[in-house]
Amino acid sequence: MAFQVVLNLIIAFMYMFLSETYGVGTFLFGYLIGLFLLFLLQRFIPDAFYLKRIYYIVRLILLFLKELVKSNFSIVKLVYKPKLDIKPGIFMLPTELRSNWEVTLLANLITLTPGTLSVAVSDDQSRIYIHAMDIPDVEAEIKGIKDTFEKAIMEVTR
Amino acid sequence: MRSNDLILRTTTALIAFILLGFSVYLFFAGHNSPGGGFIGGLMTASAIVLMYMTYGFDVIRKVLPFNYNILIGLGLMTALLTAIGSFAFNQPFLSHTFDHFHIPIFGDVELATAMLFDLGVYLTVIGVTLTIILSIAEDN
Repeated sequence: MAFQVVLNLIIAFMYMFLSETYGVGTFLFGYLIGLFLLFLLQRFIPDAFYLKRIYYIVRLILLFLKELVKSNFSIVKLVYKPKLDIKPGIFMLPTELRSNWEVTLLANLITLTPGTLSVAVSDDQSRIYIHAMDIPDVEAEIKGIKDTFEKAIMEVTR
Repeated sequence: MRSNDLILRTTTALIAFILLGFSVYLFFAGHNSPGGGFIGGLMTASAIVLMYMTYGFDVIRKVLPFNYNILIGLGLMTALLTAIGSFAFNQPFLSHTFDHFHIPIFGDVELATAMLFDLGVYLTVIGVTLTIILSIAEDN
């Protein structure tokens, strides 16, 4: 990804110097040309076309915001319930994510969405222990996290 | 088979992009300074030929899965349609016009219909050059 961004910047600067007009417009036009060339030759460069990855990053951010709003509402509902009949518990989430960054990101996303809190990561980094405030069904919760956050993170990193 | 043309391969990955960027510059510069569709097309073709020389047929055919014969027809069609388009405005064949447009960020841009004609030349030149070179190279 870094190589592609550098290449794109080189093309943009080259275009600006060749046309001898130094402005935002010329630079942007050169950058668009570079983007187009990279898109055209995307099988020639190592890694996938980098706009695709940026698109996945934006999607991950939007997914996080959506989950944040949704789970905040469910917490508000729990708080204002007259009778406290919640079922708290700690469950284990097996994860396929391997690198340090991926696991950290997943754990932080779980913590930041209210209702769940990542407590610890197992020694071999293959499991995350999560405390949930109200958990009627463990399997559904695990599946929910795996389908949303883990999948989105995997799309970004590989 | 692993060949030892490491330096050629590594530099080609960078230089091909610089050549392609330069060819696009030449194509757009054609109106006010040296350049234009013909030399821009030749430059693009030379960049693609460099890629073919370095990586071989099989790899580049996967990278650029185009049929260059179709590019010739596409280029000729673009040029012809630009020429015929002047009939729609009650003008003689091949009349050209230009105007200044204000586009946000880019500012004042002069757009001419001659550029569309140039695009036809550009595509045709790429198609012809690569068809000639590749059909000679593939002939046993």
